[in-house]
Amino acid sequence: MQINPETQARQRWMGVLARAHVDEPSRERLSRHEAALRDIDSQIIRAPEIGMSLVRGRMGGTGAAFNLGEMTVTRCVVRLADGRTGYSYLAGRDKRHAELAALADAHLQGTQQAWWLAELIEPLAEAQALRQARKDAETAATKVEFFTLVRGED
Amino acid sequence: MNAALLQPAFADPVLDAQRSFRTALKALAGPGVVQVLQTAHQPPALAGLDSATHALCLALLDLDTPVWLAPAFDTAAIRANLSFHCGCPIVGDRHKARFALLDASVAQDLDGFDLGNDRYPDQSCTLLIQLSGLVGGPAFTWSGPGIEHQHRVALPVGAGFWSEREARNDFPRGLDVFFLAGSQVLGLPRSTRVQECA
Repeated sequence: MQINPETQARQRWMGVLARAHVDEPSRERLSRHEAALRDIDSQIIRAPEIGMSLVRGRMGGTGAAFNLGEMTVTRCVVRLADGRTGYSYLAGRDKRHAELAALADAHLQGTQQAWWLAELIEPLAEAQALRQARKDAETAATKVEFFTLVRGED
Repeated sequence: MNAALLQPAFADPVLDAQRSFRTALKALAGPGVVQVLQTAHQPPALAGLDSATHALCLALLDLDTPVWLAPAFDTAAIRANLSFHCGCPIVGDRHKARFALLDASVAQDLDGFDLGNDRYPDQSCTLLIQLSGLVGGPAFTWSGPGIEHQHRVALPVGAGFWSEREARNDFPRGLDVFFLAGSQVLGLPRSTRVQECA
């Protein structure tokens, strides 16, 4: 399936926003922009609501799909006065964050997209990449190689 | 889906949907008695749908209930909002629908709606018929379960509706109907006997 670059860009910032409540610095960054995000007439189309979502996985990434379990998901939809609609879906039960993320998604579709990308999305993405790299490094240090010694029997 | 057409639904999605469902239950339990939805718990107006119709749609429809729309209700705004807030599939084939949204002009023709079967009569299609009012038509006498003696009900629907309903009332199979106008709900379950006033 072809995904156009616009959709791809939106997918990226929605993902960054959805992950922006996992640590304190990211939460703080989003909160710092709260006043700017709310400084516009907006209407809540779907108030932040918490639900369950089934997570499915594949053994080794390629096998048959199995149900891993359920997780809580919070979602929200807002519309700004000029008709732009912002959506958010995120893991967990943080309703305030869901509303801010939806507002940010709406703002990012407007004329000030470059400003929001530079001020909000890029720093968040950078912090998330750093955290991921640190975690990967920690995990890599615990890696164990299994091997079998071949005995010279034949 | 056109996001610009979306509107907010219930202010309190859980409790308002439960209140509307309760009203619908009362309407079917006491056929012919007008139930009124409280203003504070109604959803905002949606073009073409009265508040009672909108409230019942939000309370009754979900992913498992395909809905059939009469031409008068088949607008982009209604389609977008019902699919967004209820998640219900909108079908063009009457036989596949579990709910149908009708107005007075198409209520003369009930052909094709699912009447359920003898083993699962509950699987029949439920009709939501929006009228301009719930009085002012030819008077009929209603009797049956949920009615102590008799009710006189004068709904403004054509004679065609009553003969069509009679032809499809093969108990336990049949059609349950909600009549809606403004914020009023009136129930007509399949068990109610309707006779012309003498």
